[in-house]
Formats: sequence, structure tokens, C-alpha cells
Amino acid sequence: MNSELTAPVESAVLAAEVEGLVDSAEPEGIYRDTRECGGGLLLAGLLLISPPTPRPTKTDAS
Amino acid sequence: MTGADPRGGTAVAAPAREHPDGGTADVHGLDPALLDSMAGSALRWLDGMRDCFRLPADVTTDADPNLTLKPLGELAELTHLIRTRHPRADVRTLAEGLFAFAWEETRGGALFGDLLRGEPRATYPVELYGVFARTGLRHPGVEELIRTATGLRGWRVAREDHTRTLGVLNAERRIGLPEHADFAEVLAMTGLGCRSEPWTLDRKAAYGVTHDVFHLTDWGRARERMPADLAEYLRLWVPSWLECWLEEELWDLAGEWLAVSACLPVPVQDPAAWRRLAAAQAPDGSVPESGTEPPPGPDEADAFTACYHSTLVTAFAATLARIGAADGSDTAPHSPAPHSPSLPHGPAPHGAAATRNTAMEGPESEAAS
Amino acid sequence: MAEQAQGISPLSAVVADVAQGVALALRGGGGSYALSDVLPPDEAVAPAAVRVLGADALAPYALDRAAATGGATDRTTADRALVRAALTAFAPGADASEVSLWSYRGLLAAARALLPADPDGWPPEPPAATAWTATDPWPKLAHRASQLASLALPGLDTPLAAGLAERTDDLARGFVRAVRRRDWLQAAGLGRWLASAADVPDTLGLDSGLVFVRQMSGTQPRVALHVAAAARFYGRGS
Repeated sequence: MNSELTAPVESAVLAAEVEGLVDSAEPEGIYRDTRECGGGLLLAGLLLISPPTPRPTKTDAS
Repeated sequence: MTGADPRGGTAVAAPAREHPDGGTADVHGLDPALLDSMAGSALRWLDGMRDCFRLPADVTTDADPNLTLKPLGELAELTHLIRTRHPRADVRTLAEGLFAFAWEETRGGALFGDLLRGEPRATYPVELYGVFARTGLRHPGVEELIRTATGLRGWRVAREDHTRTLGVLNAERRIGLPEHADFAEVLAMTGLGCRSEPWTLDRKAAYGVTHDVFHLTDWGRARERMPADLAEYLRLWVPSWLECWLEEELWDLAGEWLAVSACLPVPVQDPAAWRRLAAAQAPDGSVPESGTEPPPGPDEADAFTACYHSTLVTAFAATLARIGAADGSDTAPHSPAPHSPSLPHGPAPHGAAATRNTAMEGPESEAAS
Repeated sequence: MAEQAQGISPLSAVVADVAQGVALALRGGGGSYALSDVLPPDEAVAPAAVRVLGADALAPYALDRAAATGGATDRTTADRALVRAALTAFAPGADASEVSLWSYRGLLAAARALLPADPDGWPPEPPAATAWTATDPWPKLAHRASQLASLALPGLDTPLAAGLAERTDDLARGFVRAVRRRDWLQAAGLGRWLASAADVPDTLGLDSGLVFVRQMSGTQPRVALHVAAAARFYGRGS
């Protein structure tokens, strides 16, 4: 193998990166919902179907 | 209520998250004191908000029904079950008071006559009236109007949403009207009935499935109506949906999934999920729609709009979960008598069977006098 | 590479490249694949990339085991050297996670099964626990399992796979949650384990779910790899 791979500092950094890629934390959830026309929902939400007020939804930036 | 703070969680079993099935621990893992505390404090907050439930003078014309009739309708639908089924007398009394208040706000049902004359094709007056009619609270003039409206061919025109049609069919059943379509056929076209791929649910589809369950089981009263294949579908996937919306901190939907869990023929409950919902409940008993922020604005009306729905759902779900393992249903709107106290009960949370007042079950005898 | 354009690390870029090569080989057949071809051995990060991908670096050889192990050709000798370097340079430390341990064991098991015998012998198998496959709550189990999806490979009969086979419903719940969270890599990994299971609930819709995840993920090579493995080895999702 390449000798630079065995250099202690670089290999420690690389080993940490490997460990991070092998076992990585769960990414934060991205929740998207069907966009609705507000007017069309009038009374469709009667009896719990939908919350009373529109809420901002976290959306995927990408 | 109990004197100790049940939120401490010291008396409960090991968290379900530690359970191999993670979230499918059975009902015996639930903490009845926590559930009762949640239901009781939610109802006390709602009771203090009566003024916000009051219908404005223009309720049949210009007022936004989503901010007037919807809250009152939810109050009636959900407190009705609590007042008849909750094992604790103090909780039942609170719910009874709220349910009676809702009927008073409808002016003994006369409101529905005004709504029907104003909007004869609308289904919601019939759906709302059904909540009261199933308890024996009826209004003869309204019944005449409803028989005409629901007897028209136009009443059978498909609604935008099959889930909504299930609600209409359940109302017809409650009122004692002929059902305008076959319940099973409509159910088959819903998200629940077609057993949608569980990973396709977004928020709106999730509300659809929870309400398919509520209409099918008459809001938890008729768990035996659930076909085996749908029960299996829900047993498999509700734990996943519950976890998703708990993480998203949409507390009303999390509460609805907890209610759905208790509507299964064999209730599936998750003690850890209950503790997470309990943690979202404010000390005053209110449960925000989402997140942890206090309701926006200093205005009581803002707080009401932001919290009433989730708070009602919490009280309802906590009641269903509390009685979930107990046998019994009061499904038929015109069945002659309450269940006999000698009927056998299934397994119940500690002491629940002993404290349940079975005479409170079944169709209520009070009439619209 | 697009990945480099986005400013990701050289290692991640090489991992993506190899994953793409593996996915291509799985889709098109194993004949033309050689690890040492998709991964120039003079690159410093090459053994690291092999360690990250684990058994998947050798997955195409599972399509045609006889050809791979038939004899020590130049190609298989080069592959063997790469894998040995990965196993040696990136052996799990004393504080290694269960995922790291099992990923390492997966690579080792694949090397033993799919490469010609190493004249010096392969490194020893580090001990790794299986109890967590029975006791983890399902969201945590699903996340761990998805990171170990490279062990869902025919012929790699590990205790890990046996443990996960007892939790099919829970892995399926994890798939549902991962899709809702738009965590396509976790979903694909779980979909691959589920493809290997005999008792996946019909209502999950696994086949369309795998296709859905691949399409929604855009061009993530490791997602494509898992979906290709599910299709090629277990006939699901295509």
C-alpha cells in the first residue's frame, strides 16, 4: 500500500472518517405533505379531519 | 384525581422503547393514572374555554364554520364517549357538562333546522345532528327536514372524499335513516379500505385513515366491526405512523393514532408514546397543535384555536386507551337496554373493570324533552 | 464526479464511485466487474472505501462465485490485496460500535466466500453481539440494520441476518418511517433486508416501495446499489 496511508496522523483522520461513514447518525427527518388549496378544505375538515388553522410545514430545501 | 404527579412515570412499566416490539406493548403496560390525569386536565381546560365554544349570532350565515361549528361538533362527538365510558366519575361528570353545554348551544337542536334550511345539500348538519341523535337528543322538526334532504336522489351523489361519505353513513345509521350507500363498498375506496402502501401516508392521508377507523368503529364503540384484514393492516403500521408523527410533534395526529390503536379488536398500546404526548400537555391541560411553543398571541381566542382540537383528541384518546382492553360496545343506536353488568369483560388496566360503571354504557335514555 | 462538485470528501466520492460501479454490475451482470478496476489501488483512500462499503465491494462476485474463486488471476490477486489492506488498516478498535463490527465481519465473510483463499490467511473475526437484534426498539433496530444492508447477500449466512430475520415486521415499520422522513438510504437498506425475507407483509408494497425509493432519491449511488441488490439477488422491486 501507499506509504502515506500508514502515516499515523493521516490514517487516524481517515479511520475516523471511515467510522463515521460506516456508522452514521440518522439525518434529521424531512417531512413533506401534499399542498392543498385552502379554500377547497372548507368544511371538509369538519369533525377532526384537519386542524383548524393552516400550519407552516417544514419543507425540503433541495 | 390522584394526588401524586403521574408524569413522574415511576410507577409505570419499562418504557416500550426498550421493548423488543418497540411500541407494541400491550395495554397492561399503560399507566391508568397518567391517562386519567391527561383526560381530566384536558377536560378542565376545555371546560374553562366554554365561552370560546359558544356559537356566534351569525353562525348559520357569515361565521366561519371551521371556527364555530367544527369545534362545537368535535366537543359533542368526543365528550359523548367520555361521559358514557370513562371509568372515573369525576371525568364523566366534566364530560357530561360539556356535552350538555354543546346541546344547549344548538338550542335543543333547532340550530340544525336553521342550517338545513340555509344549506339543504350540506352534509355537516346531518353529521352533527347524528352525534346528538344517537344519544336520544332529537328534534322533531329537524328530523323532518333531514328525512326530506337525505331522501333525495341528489343526496347520493358522490362526495369529494370517501372518508367523508363514511361519516355521513355513520350519521345516517345513528339517526336511524336508511344508509344512502353500502358502507363496505365505500370503505373499500378509502385509504384504509384499499390498504394504501403505508409509506405513502402524508398528513392528509393520515387524517383520512384515522377517520376511516373512527367512522368504521363508531368512534371506538364498535371495535368488532373492523374486518380482520384491516385490523392486521393497522396492527402492522400504526406503530410506524405513531412514531412518525410523535417525532414530527403533530400532537393532534399523534393523539389520533393513539385513539386508533385503542379502536383495534385487540388494542395495541404504547406506554412510551403516551408519556411523550403527556410531556406535550401544558400544566393547564391544553395540548398544542404542534411543537412545544405556547399558543401564539395573548388572546384567549388564539390559544383556543391553537389548542382545542389537540386537547379534545387527547381526552378522547386517553379515554379509549383507558377502556381499550375492556369488552363492550354501545353501537346500535336503538338497542333496547344498557349492557348487563354481568357481561364478562376482557382484561382491563388495573382496577378499570372494577371502577367502570357499566350502567353508564349503551344508548342514553335522556330524551330531548 | 457530481459528488466532488458538491464539495464532499475524497473518500465519500470514491465510495460513491464504487457504489455506482457495483450497482451497474448488479444490474448488468457480474462478468465485467472487478473491484480493482473501479477502484485504482494506488489511491490512498481505496482501502478506506472498501471498508466503508463492506461486503458490497464484492457483491457482484456473488453473481458468479465460481468465476471469482476459481483461481488467483491477476485481477483477483489485486482485489484480495485491496480487501486485505482494508481489513488491516481499518480493523475495529476496542470501542467500535456494533455496526462497525458487523460491517467489518461482513467484509471478512464476503472475502472468505467470494475471493480466492489468502495465502497468509484472512484476519481473525472480531466478536460481535447479536442480542441487540432482539432487544432494540424498532426505530433503532431499523437504523442499524439499514447501515448493515451489505450483509444482505446470498451466501453470507451471518448470525446478524438470522437475528434480523426474526424482526421482519419491525424492519418494515422502519421502512415506512424512513420513507416518511425522506431518508432514502435508510429506506433502501431496509428494503434490501426485506427483499431477503420470506415473510414481508404484503400490505407494505415492497416492490413498488423499492422502485419509489430509487426514483425519489435521484442519483444516490448507495441507494441505487441497495435497490439493485434487492432486485438481482432477491427478485424484488423490479
